[in-house]
Amino acid sequence: MNTDQLVITLGSSVTPVRRGLIPRRIMWGVTAGGAVTLAMVVLQLGFRPDLVIAMHSFAFWMKWTYTLSLAVIAILATAHLARPEAQRPRWLWLLAVPIAALAALAAGELIRTPTSGWAELWMGLSWRICSTRVATLSLPIFAGLVVAFRRLAPTRLRLTGAVVGLAAGAFGATLYCLHCPEVSAVFVLTWYTLGIAVAAAIGALLGPKLLRW
Amino acid sequence: MRASEDQLRSWMTGALDGDAAAYTALLAALVPMLRSFFGNRLRGGSDDVEDLMQETMMAIHSRRGTYDRDRPFAPWAYAIARYKMIDHFRRTRATVPIEDLENILVSEGFEAATAARLDVDKLLGGLSPKQAQAIRATRLEGLSISEAAAGAEIGESDVKISVHRGLAALARRVTGSS
Repeated sequence: MNTDQLVITLGSSVTPVRRGLIPRRIMWGVTAGGAVTLAMVVLQLGFRPDLVIAMHSFAFWMKWTYTLSLAVIAILATAHLARPEAQRPRWLWLLAVPIAALAALAAGELIRTPTSGWAELWMGLSWRICSTRVATLSLPIFAGLVVAFRRLAPTRLRLTGAVVGLAAGAFGATLYCLHCPEVSAVFVLTWYTLGIAVAAAIGALLGPKLLRW
Repeated sequence: MRASEDQLRSWMTGALDGDAAAYTALLAALVPMLRSFFGNRLRGGSDDVEDLMQETMMAIHSRRGTYDRDRPFAPWAYAIARYKMIDHFRRTRATVPIEDLENILVSEGFEAATAARLDVDKLLGGLSPKQAQAIRATRLEGLSISEAAAGAEIGESDVKISVHRGLAALARRVTGSS
């Protein structure tokens, strides 16, 4: 096709585009993927039996505040990188705030606990499976976001992949809290963060392939 | 004559509202812009230039929802062109240095256009006095480098560096990246 024809063809095939396409598509991707992840938690793992009681506890909200704030920051960074003129990441430095806050809580726990109890704080009951589950539960959300990106225009593909993976990991961890009975900040800081980091690494690995346009 | 930033932007806004005439005018204006952009940067034949130009226009079409009406148009369009060029070099396994978006906007003559929408004094006020004066002298008052250097009683290379760094800082602010 020659260029003049292309101008006419594209020009006549224009349809209105509503404002806010980027946030709408990203929210759609998170919601669609999150629904699958939630189904995985409910059907494969099950809610923790004491969920209603736990929702009145400090530990539960500490975990949710941590994972949700990481998720919100990662989503803001994702939305920024969805525009082609975004050459540098934004918002990511804010990740230091929840991480530092949780690290402070973890330090407090360690100070209050005799060293003989540290292993239990750190390993809990589920340290072997926690990170793997967080990373696995992130995959549907990651897939949802990748599909959402099909109309978006990232130009830093590896970075965008990592940030999308981070968001998926943090949302996956948020939903995993509905199952996970662990209560210590030391545990969450170590194993949740590791699972989320693995999700981000998977994103960085796959980003250049999956987000190319 | 080449279309101005304001003109491109109003066509694009019309296109996003579904105005086919505005969109066709926008695409027609993009043809020479993109042809010269790729022509100046590709060593290969004109076939490559034409292919990349068409690919970029199709990408602009399919990704037009990522354009934010409150931001300048040229950085958005050139960012897509730059991405398509990087993708092309990656496919052909060529290793070539590619300029930053900021420098592209400067060399394609859009740094003035993107800044024009904003209050120039306010923008320049955010720079160091030396950079602001160097840009004012060479870009707004039209003095040569040596005239600007003599006027400010500093070296010519100092003027050049101040202009370059100042424009880069302005472009960063205008394109909204931190």
